[in-house]
Amino acid sequence: MTRLVSHFRSSVGSKVVMALTGLGLIVYVVFHMLGNLQVFEGPHALNSYAALLHEMPILLWTARLGLLSIAVVHIVLAIQLTLRNRRARPTAYAIREYRQASLASRTMAVSGVVLLLFIVFHLLHVTAGVVDPSFSDRVDAEGYRDVYARLIHAFRNPLIVGLYLAGQLGLGLHVSHAVSSSLQSLGLEHAAFNRLFKSAGPAVALLVVLGNVAIILAVFLGIVRA
Amino acid sequence: MTFTLNIWRQKGPEDSGRFVTYEARDVSAGMSFLEMLDSVNQRLIADGEEPVAFEQDCREGICGSCSLVINGVPHGPDRGITTCQLYMRRFPDGAVITIEPWRARSFPIIKDLVVDRRALDRIMQAGGYISVNTGGAVDGNVLLIGKDQAETAMDAASCIGCGACVAACKNASAMLFVAAKVSHLASLPQGKPERTHRVRAMLEAMDREGFGSCGNQYECEAVCPKSIGVRFIANLNREYLRAGVVESGLLSEPEAPHAESA
Repeated sequence: MTRLVSHFRSSVGSKVVMALTGLGLIVYVVFHMLGNLQVFEGPHALNSYAALLHEMPILLWTARLGLLSIAVVHIVLAIQLTLRNRRARPTAYAIREYRQASLASRTMAVSGVVLLLFIVFHLLHVTAGVVDPSFSDRVDAEGYRDVYARLIHAFRNPLIVGLYLAGQLGLGLHVSHAVSSSLQSLGLEHAAFNRLFKSAGPAVALLVVLGNVAIILAVFLGIVRA
Repeated sequence: MTFTLNIWRQKGPEDSGRFVTYEARDVSAGMSFLEMLDSVNQRLIADGEEPVAFEQDCREGICGSCSLVINGVPHGPDRGITTCQLYMRRFPDGAVITIEPWRARSFPIIKDLVVDRRALDRIMQAGGYISVNTGGAVDGNVLLIGKDQAETAMDAASCIGCGACVAACKNASAMLFVAAKVSHLASLPQGKPERTHRVRAMLEAMDREGFGSCGNQYECEAVCPKSIGVRFIANLNREYLRAGVVESGLLSEPEAPHAESA
């Protein structure tokens, strides 16, 4: 057991755990986006979907705690690795020119912090109803929690829209490097698939951000309305 | 040609160091970068000043000791070469050139542009070898291997251990170096019996030496004078994961190829 722990505490082992937890979070983000796209089908679809998730409290809380655990492991490891990496180069270069490092790869720590702040805000806003409690208890005609009305109310507010778009920028940057980087950390490499692996990150990031931004802007521009 | 050089001067490991500006005059386009530095040093010596300390040995792109960060890029602006193969025609006349040493905690500065790269030697000593008892061992060429395998091993073996990957990496990681050494030996039959111990020991040594971890930015690949690809880092990750599986008892090591004939 001690050997196994030391195996995953090494520079490569930590990256493997970072990759696995990161990929787990990305899978959740994709399904979260797909679920929310039901807003385009109207209040009944979204509210009954939300009710369905809440009808299985054991499953819901298992998923929530599971998600929280892997997020915590991911964040703690990210901090540990960042500190270790900073120690590895105490003196910076006077001039630093990058040859092929993408903007996303160079801003992982920044986009990660933006993303974390956004997630905390999003949970306080939507899950806990702390930011704007006005619609928290509202139910629709069928007796479901009116998630749809709350979403419409939120994204009519330019400040909320701005914050969500900033969060999507952080998410897009982080995911676009994360997916391909994770595959490399897990040792997935083959001449026939390398192009696919490299484009997987930007493709997933584009998919998730486009889906989420479509919801935000559709409400803000009045395409989807109450 | 005339150049303005901002060169990092540091009297010794304890000195804090600083940039000093020199003028390189009467430089011909055909001069190599090191020859240009030689000419600057000749003038410094004639003026009774301390010449700039920099490392050099083969001047043929083989030894990798000419480790300089030139305008923010290890080994300078051209791909796939060492500093000694860089020529002054590559720079416009009158250019300002900033020259720094490799910067990493594991590469302490000895003087000026010379750094102590023995950390890489210690990583090699931890497992970057094959323990073959000479005498009873079969000649290497008797063991036939596939062309792909031979080419992979050869590509990885081209690493000269210059440390440019460490210098270029945002995290000062030596993972491309370790990956090249591990992949080279693990792709050959002679290297397979020790592959589990090797990857673990070399990585532990790398971590002990204070190098960072890979951020998959691939700057190492871009500056490697031997153009060693980051696919070897993926291979290193696979080797390391495999080592974990072997150590858990789910997979066993192959026999040494020379064991039967011994």
